[in-house]
Amino acid sequence: MFVVEGALVYSNLLALLSIGLTITYITTGVPNFAQGSFALFGSYTALTLLYTLKIHPYASVPLAFAVGGLAGVAVYALALRPLLKREASIVTLMIATLAVDLILLGFFGAYSDFLEGLTGKSAKKFIFTPYDFNIFGFKAILLLSTFAIFLLLVSLSALLYGTKFGIALRASMENPELAEVMGVNVARTRTFSWFLSGALASTAGCFLPFRQEIVPLTGSLIIVSIFAASIVGGITSIYGSVLGSYIVGFSESLLTFIISLAFGQILVYSRVISLIMMLIALVLAPKGLAGVVKKKWSIYS
Amino acid sequence: MEHILLTILIWFGLYMIVCLSLNIEYGYAGIPNFGRAFAVLVGAFAVGGVANRLLMLIFDISNGIIEGSASVKSAMNEIMARNPAVAILFLLGTLCIAAILGAVLGAIFILPSARLSEHYLAIALLAISEVSYMVCYYNPDIIGGYYGVSTPDPLLFFQGEQRLLAFSVLTLSIATLLYGIVSKMLNSPFGRLLKAMREDEAVVEACGKDVMFLRVKACAVGSSIAAISGALYAFYTTNVIASSFNRAEWTFYPFLIIILGGLGSTNGVVAGVFLFVVVRVLLTTYKWELKSALHLPFEAVWLEYMIFGVLMLLVLIFKPEGLLREKPTMTKPIREVVKRTRKGASRQQPLTPQNTPESWHKAEKKEENSR
Repeated sequence: MFVVEGALVYSNLLALLSIGLTITYITTGVPNFAQGSFALFGSYTALTLLYTLKIHPYASVPLAFAVGGLAGVAVYALALRPLLKREASIVTLMIATLAVDLILLGFFGAYSDFLEGLTGKSAKKFIFTPYDFNIFGFKAILLLSTFAIFLLLVSLSALLYGTKFGIALRASMENPELAEVMGVNVARTRTFSWFLSGALASTAGCFLPFRQEIVPLTGSLIIVSIFAASIVGGITSIYGSVLGSYIVGFSESLLTFIISLAFGQILVYSRVISLIMMLIALVLAPKGLAGVVKKKWSIYS
Repeated sequence: MEHILLTILIWFGLYMIVCLSLNIEYGYAGIPNFGRAFAVLVGAFAVGGVANRLLMLIFDISNGIIEGSASVKSAMNEIMARNPAVAILFLLGTLCIAAILGAVLGAIFILPSARLSEHYLAIALLAISEVSYMVCYYNPDIIGGYYGVSTPDPLLFFQGEQRLLAFSVLTLSIATLLYGIVSKMLNSPFGRLLKAMREDEAVVEACGKDVMFLRVKACAVGSSIAAISGALYAFYTTNVIASSFNRAEWTFYPFLIIILGGLGSTNGVVAGVFLFVVVRVLLTTYKWELKSALHLPFEAVWLEYMIFGVLMLLVLIFKPEGLLREKPTMTKPIREVVKRTRKGASRQQPLTPQNTPESWHKAEKKEENSR
């Protein structure tokens, strides 16, 4: 039961991260290797508030959301927009996101040193599990992360299908050039998508210390799982990436647990499972689950 | 001072080798190999994982790899101290193992490219490299995991500063040798074929060349070279620990160097490596001075990451062609053609705004229209 709970929490957080990855990929065409490091904005915002003002990590989610969003916009505006304007190749853009990832690694390392010097408490390695509590016999992290996903999906579909801005957003996802011709401000929808991506990752980062230890390198360590979730779901579909997250998250946690029961200690191989799933998805169904589902239902749409 | 200079030379050699290999793969063949660290790790594995295990068999040591390596190290060092020929043989043999293992694993590593387009391939290669890094780091049975394994030291005749000198001579001579081989290879028809593949795979395929085979070849050669530098690095530190083969140092920095130097330009690689290594060694040597001088409330290593990350972005945004722009390969027939056209051009009227290829084109079109 404990394992299932952990798997569910992990999958929820993976979904938050991979939705962000997918959104920026479809609007700007950049596979963002810094997505994992975006999560640390949330973790460190929560940690700072906890150490300095004694605010519970759950209460700092709104601030983490805003900080992550602004960071996403900053990365887009400073690093990627100049390259997109020059019509740089996709590999160049990916190298730029690798550079951003390294800058963020340096930034969080420096910040954690700074925070340690300021508060005298460990910031280079921290975990929030002692601060967690139970609601109706469940861990709060389970309920809250599930609620966050639920809220996100509801508000995202309300935004995408219920508002004019949502129509503009979908149009610029489908075909940016055409949308621009029709009068959609593509620059604005792109900026918004980077805000959303950073904000979602940062929210996930706020929850992440309740499940695993955070170090400045965490961002680079979880990026493989994020990409696996996004690709298994078909990197061009938001709902696909939610589905992909649950598949990858559960198989990482459950499969490794079951195999380790049979063969002993191999828990370290959880990332190998996500890698294998990603490679299988890439080779057999390059459009992922979304592609498979679309093919089946294409007559109806 | 001498120490800094020697460290710069050693790192120059090590990064030279890695960047030459990445320049074959990304600069020439256009394969976005975001998993360069993998091949370097393979080289270190050849020293810590393969050579040590072979020596354990020879010496009949039946411990785990970590304790076994320690006994292998002392036994082997003792033999090599008595017999320099064994040391040379051991060094060359291990480098050969690294090169062969690198070529084989590099060829397997690139196989997903049969089905994947450019950026999916980049993601897949990065993921493979990251995961093998993690497995090697968390599993102590491969190369000692987070404990690491120690390796015999083939340069044990030299002590202290002398060892650094000997090692820099060794690395630089291997780097020079590889530089010669690689530039020869890249100027050959094979190199031009790789460039053609980078520009347009369909054209290469239409000319009857197997693109997949070309990619496998390029990657096998590249990985084999990169593995040599991994093995050399292992001998430099005389121990192998997976955490020193991380993505930042062995994938990102080589990319930074070849983009800074100029993609596809072998001399650019030299310039890029030199600039990068000087800055990096100075940063790491004077990190304490830097920290106190700038009143940094954090370690200087984080500053290094930020500086090189920002440098990469600046190069990509403001100088994407790098320091030394790629030049066309001047083969004999091409040189003759260039000479002939230059002569021809000077005999005709010089190229003026009124007399340019575009204007000829326009004139042709006018003629067509009037017809």
